[in-house]
Amino acid sequence: MSHDLILFDGVSKFYGEVLGVNKVDLQIPPGITSLVGPNGSGKTTLMNLMAGLIHPGSGSVYVRGISPFAPEKLMRILGYATQYDAAPRGITGLDFVRAGLLLHGFPPAEAARRAEAAIATVSLTHAAQRKIAAYSKGMRQRIRLAQAIAHDPAVLVLDEPLNGLDPLVRAETIALFRNYAARGHHVILSSHVLQEVDVFSDQVILIANGRIVAEGAIRSVRDEIHEHPSQFLLQCRQPARVAALLFEQAEILEARIDPAGSGLRVLTRQRAAFADAIQRIALSGVAIDGLLPVDENVDALYEYLIGGGK
Amino acid sequence: MAVFKRGYERYDGPLTGAVTRFLAVPRFVWPRLLAERFVLVLLLVSLFWPLLCAIFIYLSNHANLLPNLNEGGDAIQKLLRIDGRFFATFMNIQSTFAIILAAVAGPGLIAPDLANNALPLYFSRPVSLASYIGARLVVLFGLLSLVTLLPGLFVFGLQASLAGSSWLAGHWTLGQGMLLGFLLYILLLSLVALACSAYVKWRVVAGALVLGFFFVLAGAAQIVNQVFRVEWGSLLSPGYTIYTIWCALLGVETAADAPDAGECLAAVLVLLGALLAVLLRKLRPVEVVS
Amino acid sequence: MNQIWIIARLEIRRAFFSRRALWVYLLALFPAALFLGRGVSVNYDRREYAAKPVTPATLLDRLPTGTTDKDALAAAGPPIRDRQWRRGKVEHRSLHYFDGYNRVWLQFENGALQSTRRVPLHSFAQDSRIYAGVFQYFYLRLAVFFGCLGIFLNLFRGEMIDKSLHYWFLAPVRREILVLGKYCAGLIAAAVIFGGGALLSFGALLSYQTTADIETYLRTEALAHGFWYVLAAVLGCAGYGSVFLAAGLVLRNPIIPALVMLLWESINGFLPELLQKLSVLHYLQSLCPVPAPLDPSAPPLARMILSPAAPASAWTALPGLLVVTALVLYLATRTARRLEINYGAE
Repeated sequence: MSHDLILFDGVSKFYGEVLGVNKVDLQIPPGITSLVGPNGSGKTTLMNLMAGLIHPGSGSVYVRGISPFAPEKLMRILGYATQYDAAPRGITGLDFVRAGLLLHGFPPAEAARRAEAAIATVSLTHAAQRKIAAYSKGMRQRIRLAQAIAHDPAVLVLDEPLNGLDPLVRAETIALFRNYAARGHHVILSSHVLQEVDVFSDQVILIANGRIVAEGAIRSVRDEIHEHPSQFLLQCRQPARVAALLFEQAEILEARIDPAGSGLRVLTRQRAAFADAIQRIALSGVAIDGLLPVDENVDALYEYLIGGGK
Repeated sequence: MAVFKRGYERYDGPLTGAVTRFLAVPRFVWPRLLAERFVLVLLLVSLFWPLLCAIFIYLSNHANLLPNLNEGGDAIQKLLRIDGRFFATFMNIQSTFAIILAAVAGPGLIAPDLANNALPLYFSRPVSLASYIGARLVVLFGLLSLVTLLPGLFVFGLQASLAGSSWLAGHWTLGQGMLLGFLLYILLLSLVALACSAYVKWRVVAGALVLGFFFVLAGAAQIVNQVFRVEWGSLLSPGYTIYTIWCALLGVETAADAPDAGECLAAVLVLLGALLAVLLRKLRPVEVVS
Repeated sequence: MNQIWIIARLEIRRAFFSRRALWVYLLALFPAALFLGRGVSVNYDRREYAAKPVTPATLLDRLPTGTTDKDALAAAGPPIRDRQWRRGKVEHRSLHYFDGYNRVWLQFENGALQSTRRVPLHSFAQDSRIYAGVFQYFYLRLAVFFGCLGIFLNLFRGEMIDKSLHYWFLAPVRREILVLGKYCAGLIAAAVIFGGGALLSFGALLSYQTTADIETYLRTEALAHGFWYVLAAVLGCAGYGSVFLAAGLVLRNPIIPALVMLLWESINGFLPELLQKLSVLHYLQSLCPVPAPLDPSAPPLARMILSPAAPASAWTALPGLLVVTALVLYLATRTARRLEINYGAE
């Protein structure tokens, strides 16, 4: 049993007849790992299995050698900020974090000190004495993060931690993740937006319909689908003319006028040649307002990987 | 397929008329409730007593089939008599099933709307407060009728058909009394269930509150009577007051020193007013942010 | 033990001071309020009747059933109050007298004496029996039952409804310890509220008795009675609490089992002896120092429900109840180990 990995061994979980996750085998090393998938794909189920909030129907889970059936051991090394937006009734932010620390067995004074430090880390000191019920969505997100990190766990599990955060706090939070990972800890987080996590994740796990469809470094995941063409949205005012020029100058597989009227959707395998062609067309005087990759988002990736979509 | 790629379109079909729109709620809720196993079992169990009463009515109308009955004298004849007391007892026992049914079905009608802050959504659509409450009253009226009015009218109809038109001519007031009595009871029970559902957002507690309302108040009424050596404490018990009204409607005598039907009716009306006030106070289209 | 106490401490404030707990206080304090009211009423009556004319009891006793109201008036003299009313075809009349100790009502129907009703102006023995009835029929069967339903359901099912149970599950605490900690919090709150309520109502009962009655009672049974009443209330909280905590863990809608339990407890009196031992009320009634009176005029169904089971001795009732409680708690901890967070089902 490895004591620095999170292991999923043939794990399946069904909610009645609804599939949560199916036959998941994973070995997650320390560092920042992002679980990416659309709503209902099984990200939260994987995290809840890790934390023992739900139990696998078959297979086993071990977090750094500890079974989630032993919460008294597991929770000493694991902090989990769930997606549930609720907090215990009528409790202030400080009391909320402090209560968690008291349950960890910290003496009251030490619990208070750690709670204040954790709240300061998430930049919420000014609201620590206010009731959580009066917090905004972003503040509730941060106070949950504070409770998860307050006991300095070796495994930090965060369900969509960047949701509802403003850019400044988002940058601070990402710095916090990096700092954690640099100390050899696990940071497991979930997102349904690939661009959001690929800049700071050490590895990404793509999940759809309860199955792991790809795992590894973000670039290697992208490489896994190299045989699939890339799709771009070309923002322009003369899409028909641009399409004609593109078919002349580049190896494109398909060009469709965007039904929303924002330009042209282009499918190509030759990214470099396509970029050169666009440059030439723009220099020739045809107005090109912008170029956006539309398959960097996880949904497009899914369509390639699992053959879904329209 | 990603959620955002699903096509949602505005509904272009025909709309329900404004007057009958509130019937949409019972149309959806009744099948859902009747699909619940406990509700179904309760409905079946609640038919057991009417069935017994029907057998009793058959026997009392075919007394000549029973051997040696006439030798029993007046006591047996009195026992087999179908009169106001028979119907009062029938109503009293059926009313217990109605309470349980209201405790199970009622809390789900308003509490979830309040818990999820759905009232602003409702009232930002062409739904008035009256139609919101009315729709839920219709749900409970239909359900409670299954264990009160319908079996009651069946039992009365059976007796009328077996005993003949002369009995009906002399006792039609029993049918009328039962009808009015059950209507008042259903109204009271429905308002209790809805008020409890509106008062506590938590469905489970609302169910307990409906039960507690009848059982605890009945107990409280008794101890007020015992501690103060009075009889007016019975007015605190909705079960007692409604039973006294039923007895008056069916021409059955009650204890002389206990509160009479007029006093009980006044107590019930005050209670109905209070329940309605709770409903109106709680059902406001505002989102409460603590 | 330390973790149990920490959990209990964190929970206990919620159990005591939440708005949801308000009606629990109302239930617990209702008997105390009634007996305080009774005290005010008795003191008022004492002053009132001190100035009323006294009609000798022997004179009132001599009036046989069927005596006309005119003859009664002639024999007993003018009453304190004369009330007449009609109900249906019957003309009712009630003549109220005072014999120096009892208030006496002569009840006439259509002018003929039907019954004589005597109510002592004040009787400690009668009050004590009434207190026993209130305690067993209202306090244990309804107030403690519904109060514990509210307090103990809130511990787990309430957190599931509020979507906050996972915070407890994310603490480094064994689930068994969590169950016990929460149970302790509920038990402390319920015991203080209902034990305190029992003590207050017992105190209220004693507050308006005559000095002689109080002195005699204090010398003999008062302390023991008070102790057993409070103990019965506390043990009621322990027993019902364990059942409702377990129901809240297992079932999405615990109202149905609560209803079944209310029925089970009610019909306990005429269950076979073995099944009687599986009822909380069976043990509680055995602990009560004064048997509760049963109104002989109550309807048969009510008498059936209210009639107590064959009592166990106090020293078997106490461990019996604790064993039932421990058994239910053990089952609850077993359930908690496998419990999953699934708020979507709420």
